[in-house]
Amino acid sequence: MPKLTFISADGETTKTVESPVGITLMEAARNAGIDSVAGDCGGACICGTCHIYIDPAWWEKVGEPIDIEQATMEFSENVTPHSRLACRIEVAAELDGLVLRVPPED
Amino acid sequence: MAEADLMSSPVGQKPVYWDPYEPEVFANPYPMLKRLREEAPLYYNEKYDFYAVSRYEDCIAVLGNRDDYISKHGGVIEVMKAGIEVPSGMFIYEDPPLHTAHRRFFTKVFTPKHVAALDTQIRDFCVKALDPLVGGNEIDFIEHLGAEMPMRVIGMLLGMPEEQLKDAQRNVDESMRTEPGQQNENSGDSLAGEYYADFVDYRIKNPGDDLVSSLLNTPFDDDKGVTRTLTRAEVLSMVALIFGAGNETTNRLIGWTAKLLSERPDDRREVHANPAMLPEVLEEVLRYEPPGMYIGRTVVRDVEFHGTKVPAGNALLAIVSAANRDEAKFPNGEVFDIHRGRQPHLTFGYGFHNCLGNALARVEGRIAFEEVFKRFRDWEVDLSRAKMSSTATVRGWESLPARI
Repeated sequence: MPKLTFISADGETTKTVESPVGITLMEAARNAGIDSVAGDCGGACICGTCHIYIDPAWWEKVGEPIDIEQATMEFSENVTPHSRLACRIEVAAELDGLVLRVPPED
Repeated sequence: MAEADLMSSPVGQKPVYWDPYEPEVFANPYPMLKRLREEAPLYYNEKYDFYAVSRYEDCIAVLGNRDDYISKHGGVIEVMKAGIEVPSGMFIYEDPPLHTAHRRFFTKVFTPKHVAALDTQIRDFCVKALDPLVGGNEIDFIEHLGAEMPMRVIGMLLGMPEEQLKDAQRNVDESMRTEPGQQNENSGDSLAGEYYADFVDYRIKNPGDDLVSSLLNTPFDDDKGVTRTLTRAEVLSMVALIFGAGNETTNRLIGWTAKLLSERPDDRREVHANPAMLPEVLEEVLRYEPPGMYIGRTVVRDVEFHGTKVPAGNALLAIVSAANRDEAKFPNGEVFDIHRGRQPHLTFGYGFHNCLGNALARVEGRIAFEEVFKRFRDWEVDLSRAKMSSTATVRGWESLPARI
């Protein structure tokens, strides 16, 4: 199973988990107990609460957000050029080792 | 409903027929919506001349594609068919680039973070609504809570004075009301928000720290790239939009939650013992009993579903209430299950026009039932005295008395 590493907003805490292929990064974060990736809408790309930063080294492999996702990210705080919504990304074998950062609360 | 039950029921033996007005279907549309998904995944209604899709994947395909399915002719059948000119500012019925400009302007007011900051005030409205009922033996979940709290929250956001709130709510109720089996005689006046003219004019002269004052005075880049403030007419439409969208919907969510938990004492006591479950319980209520049954679009080029062409120019409805129970997406979709966890239901829509108020509705629903459960562990809805609303666009209870 691919390994995913979540880094907390302050950079102090790192959590690496193994995730099954085919679920979304939002579900993987939820399974890993990353509470700040809330996913209020259950993955319908409505709420913008599963906002996450993709490590720049992985950006190309993960890819650009689609247009619907970009529109929903207007609800998210602290959006950067490496922002994505975790519900729009599927865990795949080629994402083994992916590094993600949780956005700050403010 | 099990297959055998469905086929022996009156619904199972009739030809597939669905419209949002038919009283018999309106009372419980789900057996017919199941048949629509299975027997007529692309459905055409001759009487009202619209097409409809009911499977989850098809609804996503329509709502996620703003190039082929546009919004500017309206989203409910009456408006789409009447050819009403939708006024600028009513951005749920706009397309890019105007929609993008207007919606972006608004989103920041309704972010989950902004809405979370309203917690104390929302709770205060709930406390004021519920405290007088403690020690009594009845609550009407609509009259006492659903018709009160969301209205006051919207009033607070808009900066609308108390004495105008109830009047405005009556006005919205009347503009949405339909006779059983009939369409709403929508003239489009309600979309223009003329009703709010005095209130908006007052804020033009007396700006405050409310939403209407920010709408009037905040510059934005419009669809032609010009930096300007909203016109008075645009503000009126937006006020009508917010007031209409923010009242009835959450009201219905409160009613459905109360009814479903009334009928399931074990579930209710479990949530009472563990109110932290509420967000997930409310998601299941939203999936299972969405207040808005469908979302309409206009097809702008010939498209095809399940081998049948839908010619350009037609009204196409995405029946999200049917999609929410599609077994292909939600196993045991016809079953209400408080342990289902958050699921990607389509009650708030999908894509570019998804509901701006979704975070507000979630917070309001959670706080309402946190406060209900602080006061009452048990209640029993009296369906013999309950009244289903007669608005075809927002399905739910207009009165829902319960013994406490």
